[in-house]
Amino acid sequence: MKCHRSSRWGGVLLGLLLSAVAWAEVPSSAVAQGAPDEGNMRVEAALLVDASQVKPGDAFRVGVRFKMDPGWHIYWKNPGDAGLSTDVSWDTPGVTVGELRWPFPSTFRTSDGFIVTHGYKEEVLLFAEARASEQASGSLTLSAAVDALVCEVECIPAQMVLTRELPVGAQTVSDAAATASFDASQAKVPRTPEAAGLDVALALDVQSLKTGQPFTGRVTVSARNGQVPPGVETDFFVSERIPGIARMALTHEASGRFGLKGEAAPDVPEKEPRFKGVLRLGTAQAGYQALEVDLPLAAVEGAPVAAPVAKASPAAPVAGAPGSATVAAPVVPASSLSLGLAVLFAFLGGAILNLMPCVFPVLALKAYGFTRLAQEDRGRVGRHALAYTGGIVGSMLVLAVVVLAVRAGGTSVGWGFQFQEPLFVAAVCAVLVAFALNLFGVFHVGLDGTALAGKVDASHGVMRSVGEGVLAVVLATPCSAPLMGTAVGFAFAAGPATVLVIFTALGLGLALPFCVLVMVPGLSRRLPKPGAWMERAKQLLGFALLGTAVWLVWVVGGLAGVDGMARLLAFLVAVALGAWLYGLAQAAEGRRRWVNVALALAVLAGTGGMALRFDASAATARVSTVSAQPWDEAAVTAALQAGQPVFIDFTADWCLTCKFNERTVLSREDVRATFARHNVAFFVADWTRRDARISAQLAAHGRAGVPMYLVINPSAPDRPEVLPELLTADLVVQAVERASGLRADAT
Amino acid sequence: MKSVLTALALTTVLGAAVPALAADAEVGKQAPAFTLKDEAGKEHSLEQYKGKLVVLEWTNPGCPFVQRHYKATTMSNTLKGFDANKVVWLAIDSTASNTPDKSAAWKKEKGFSYPVLQDPEGKVGHAYGAKTTPHMYVIDEKGVLRYAGAIDDDPRGKSDKAAVNHVKTTVDALLGGKAVPASTTEPYGCSVKYKS
Repeated sequence: MKCHRSSRWGGVLLGLLLSAVAWAEVPSSAVAQGAPDEGNMRVEAALLVDASQVKPGDAFRVGVRFKMDPGWHIYWKNPGDAGLSTDVSWDTPGVTVGELRWPFPSTFRTSDGFIVTHGYKEEVLLFAEARASEQASGSLTLSAAVDALVCEVECIPAQMVLTRELPVGAQTVSDAAATASFDASQAKVPRTPEAAGLDVALALDVQSLKTGQPFTGRVTVSARNGQVPPGVETDFFVSERIPGIARMALTHEASGRFGLKGEAAPDVPEKEPRFKGVLRLGTAQAGYQALEVDLPLAAVEGAPVAAPVAKASPAAPVAGAPGSATVAAPVVPASSLSLGLAVLFAFLGGAILNLMPCVFPVLALKAYGFTRLAQEDRGRVGRHALAYTGGIVGSMLVLAVVVLAVRAGGTSVGWGFQFQEPLFVAAVCAVLVAFALNLFGVFHVGLDGTALAGKVDASHGVMRSVGEGVLAVVLATPCSAPLMGTAVGFAFAAGPATVLVIFTALGLGLALPFCVLVMVPGLSRRLPKPGAWMERAKQLLGFALLGTAVWLVWVVGGLAGVDGMARLLAFLVAVALGAWLYGLAQAAEGRRRWVNVALALAVLAGTGGMALRFDASAATARVSTVSAQPWDEAAVTAALQAGQPVFIDFTADWCLTCKFNERTVLSREDVRATFARHNVAFFVADWTRRDARISAQLAAHGRAGVPMYLVINPSAPDRPEVLPELLTADLVVQAVERASGLRADAT
Repeated sequence: MKSVLTALALTTVLGAAVPALAADAEVGKQAPAFTLKDEAGKEHSLEQYKGKLVVLEWTNPGCPFVQRHYKATTMSNTLKGFDANKVVWLAIDSTASNTPDKSAAWKKEKGFSYPVLQDPEGKVGHAYGAKTTPHMYVIDEKGVLRYAGAIDDDPRGKSDKAAVNHVKTTVDALLGGKAVPASTTEPYGCSVKYKS
């Protein structure tokens, strides 16, 4: 907090010497110190002019130079999360002073990145263009009242009044030393794109913004002739405060290409918000090009209504309207996939999905199913195959429609999003338990209670096939198969028609292996003959379903804590009781039968209402299998800047593939040793519950679901390597070695 | 939105009604629950004040902005204008170095009546996303967050016209059954000195 005594006196002496040299020309009335901190003044302000004499009617520059103690800073015009913008009020009779010019600001963060502010440390000259009136004579009095907040950890207000005289003469005489200071500051002030010979365009993914909802888009910078300065440094974009916009940030995608993420404030602003801020292209070595960006954004609406009529945009203040800055219509994100390829990937991904751990119970059920089917005639087999496929494709389309509806409402979703909702997981759990009890023979599907177990008649066999198709989809969603992730990522970023097509392809792929087995006559004959063993196999599969239910109970624990788990288990017991009562009803006759059915329904409705109240705030924090830190963009940036390779594990509790990779690969001794050896910063982005930041990251890499693994080389932070969905130890080790610069083989 | 999503996902399975789940402090959603001790060691939970409007004030006696408002008795005056049976005022100090004794001494010196809740770990501050001192929140009778932002529209404390007190505006609107004019404003002040 406080300077050491010894160095403090040294600093004061040095300061006195320096100011004697640098401020020789500045009258004492134009210099003031402020922000007293136990006898230390933390800021010194001086009123500077770039002329020692001015001719009436001529222009000159006037400004306030701030010098801060080491570690202390003052604030930009948008201070950010805290602080207070620096204010200079002019009192200059006979002189008109223009807008204050602000050099590109630094960004300051607390160690956890929670509070982000913008401002200046060490030294800054805030200045304005001024013009002496034609009638000026004698001498002009220039005064500036400065109000600044000076912060290190604690903050101290500084209020200073600076005054100096400027002689009027026949010629304007420039002051060389001051002019150099003004020129240096002016070089750091963001220019309009027009002045810099660049065009800035903004494309939003939405027609209009919805209050309180996130939005995305892209910003592109193109050069009219020559080149857009390559690369950016951290904190290259600082947004101004914009009524109606809660927050806005850019991510650098490629030279001159930026992803825009923002969130609208909860209230409708008085006028249409604009995209306003400063953007600094280039690097310290290659030189900077700072731009002042001011483009129309879109109207903010309180509720979903039709697209707005484009309004005439108000003239931009300060810098004049950015000449040819064009606003493109909403565009579909550029993707390296063609639709045909995406459909193929979806189909193959769907087929591979059958081999994923989450689909196992259903696959087992199907295996049992076609031992039964194999004995039936081909026509029936075809009906079953169609029913199963129909069940799968139908539920895929339902899922697609839900995705579209939710997306239309402005919420970003991804593959497996429904598992982020405890009630949905509870429902799936109940279905699994009911299914298992059905396999145990507690009750039968269909109202015909006289049907004997094992002797299945065709009609409810078909219904069962449809149900199995639905169940396959429900259980498959938390898994992202290779190829499928890419296809679904493509679908989620595309139009409604594409979403439907891709999801259909996915469903057909999921149904394919079963259909092939059934439709190819030679194959089905190789299956064992049905018999008494089938009844036992069926019961055994019931236990597989219960195992899946246990996993889902654990997922609910992650979403809603121990209480949530207990509530769910209580509900499952009620489901079992209901199923048992229903089974009794099926065996009973007449009135007693309906009494039992009513009882079963009453039990379900009663306990469901009481038990299924999940409280997300009680969620259990999980201990990861790998020593990891929660993912956070600021922390990742910090690690990269410290030269650490970064590994990010995008995961979720309900994603079995993720858990499988974590247990079998990421927590292996040799893999962890590799992480340790290369000093890898390991981050876990947990998508168990909805998280817009993580959804956006997935989307940025063309994915819509987890798992996703990113490996980032600190010397190429904007080119992360995306690993496949199924990991092997070698693959991870090699990727980490590449990211540490030990392997030259490019991917 | 969440409820729409849930409803859609569920109609395919159950068709059940959907309770809202609180995740983070967001205007229009359930405010995060908390239980904290005040400077005298007495526990206060958000739950116990259900049925009343609750004003939360993030504070730090060492911050010049807070000092300015306490010199002008902004907070006490705002509270005085409300019906004491309907509105509860809770100050919260998330400063890492704060102690109950410091809060008690400051409360005695300034002579205000409301409790100063102790959050030196910063858990509640982070749950609410409190960034500045002062940073104000208004929660309605049902526990829904209705306002987050600055105490007034005069960050520098030297505006020529009388400052618009956003907390007063919000509470008056809620008690009068009217719409809240501005549910968020940019908070101003020192940054909250969280434990790092």
